[in-house]
Amino acid sequence: MDSQSKWIATRVRLGWALLAVGVVLAGMGAWLEFQYLYVANNFRILTGLGILLGGIGIGFVVRYHAAAKDAQSARRLNAEERDERTVMIRARAGNRAYWVSAALIYIGLMWVSFSWADLPPLGGDALWYYLAACVLIPFGVYIASILIDERNL
Amino acid sequence: MNNRLEELRTQKGWTQQELADQVAVSRQTIISLENGRYNPSILLAFRLARLFEMPIEDLFLYNEEDLNG
Repeated sequence: MDSQSKWIATRVRLGWALLAVGVVLAGMGAWLEFQYLYVANNFRILTGLGILLGGIGIGFVVRYHAAAKDAQSARRLNAEERDERTVMIRARAGNRAYWVSAALIYIGLMWVSFSWADLPPLGGDALWYYLAACVLIPFGVYIASILIDERNL
Repeated sequence: MNNRLEELRTQKGWTQQELADQVAVSRQTIISLENGRYNPSILLAFRLARLFEMPIEDLFLYNEEDLNG
């Protein structure tokens, strides 16, 4: 087995492992939800995490399973994953997303720091939406940056 | 940076995918190199030059204007 095939086999194993962990977590979360209906903790967070990991696992298995059977496909997939242009585009996107994320967190920090003075306090729904934006906006910047650079570079 | 990649690849009768396979990059990278939109790393430039059996400077044509780009 050459190094490319080994790399692909490792990815497939990782995919199956993620899928297994995802199924266990999602099952456990669902079971706990039905067992302890009146517990204050919401077990859906566990179910959600399980579904997320399971989905990532399925993605890995689907992507790498076909390539594992064919050395040429394995070599090509390996080259595409480690391709220097792709790595550069992802690094640039990550850098842009980081700065946007840092700016959003800084704004939030400043808002909270000065909310005792003139700014209205950030709490409840507003805080939730702000934190959701802090997650989603950098992710959007990352994806948009990749799409733009893929077209322009 | 301009280069003679497309010309040399065509002379050899290779497709973009075949060239990409030989230097272990994606086909999209070869397309971007041929269009002059992407400048390769020094390692990839060496791999391409070795593949076409010529010095790097015969494959990639450096202009002073590239400094500003």
